Amino acid sequence: MSETKTLTFVFMDPPFEHERTVTFFRLLDTALDRDVNVRIFAYEGAVTLSFARQQRHGNAVHGRDTDEEAHPLTREWIASLQNKASSRGLQFEWINCGLCVDERGVNEVIEGCGRGGPPDLWRYATTAFNTLTIGTR
Amino acid sequence: MSDYLFIQSQDPFTETRAGHQYRLAQQLREAGRGVTVLLVQNGVVPARQEAQSRPFDSLLKAGVKLLADEFSLRQREINDEQLKAGIAVCDMGAAIDAMLASHKVIWH
Repeated sequence: MSETKTLTFVFMDPPFEHERTVTFFRLLDTALDRDVNVRIFAYEGAVTLSFARQQRHGNAVHGRDTDEEAHPLTREWIASLQNKASSRGLQFEWINCGLCVDERGVNEVIEGCGRGGPPDLWRYATTAFNTLTIGTR
Repeated sequence: MSDYLFIQSQDPFTETRAGHQYRLAQQLREAGRGVTVLLVQNGVVPARQEAQSRPFDSLLKAGVKLLADEFSLRQREINDEQLKAGIAVCDMGAAIDAMLASHKVIWH
């Protein structure tokens, strides 16, 4: 039986701002479809992806209330991926850069997302089968 | 000798660096490396038959394997039939498969 491989993704974009965030989550979802363990090191604005106090809102301009607007929240996407990994017997690890968290005051993160620093990024990168860094440029 | 997969999210019409990124892929191919460019987000825009970009067309002729993300195409209402010859449609699995094949996968 072959050993399950692990892929690491390094991401720095905040939620709700750029198409890269959607592409990033699509990559994670596809990695789980390929039955690989997934590790994420989030830094800079990406530490807010897992912020627990993200809230939906309505859209008065378009006359839609909160439920009708169904605004997507990245904390829910992360939770969904955590559940998907769990259901497939895979690991899904998420570490936020602690300094980046403190700068932004976003310590309240959803369950399953941790706090770390450059040593964790080093560990993730050196022990993974492969690593993808998604820069803003 | 490593193979490369570039995830090309930038386009030559709004990002001048895209031309340099194409040249890097092209030069790696000329150096004998296996090179794939996966077009995502606005990176798919020059893949339309009507799109005029010499740097992109040069890449297309360089023997680099070119893929276009189906989701990004659909978002921009670009059909498969509207793509330039030599560009295949794919999904994100192409990037994950390249990572699992130990290719160097680089985000542009």
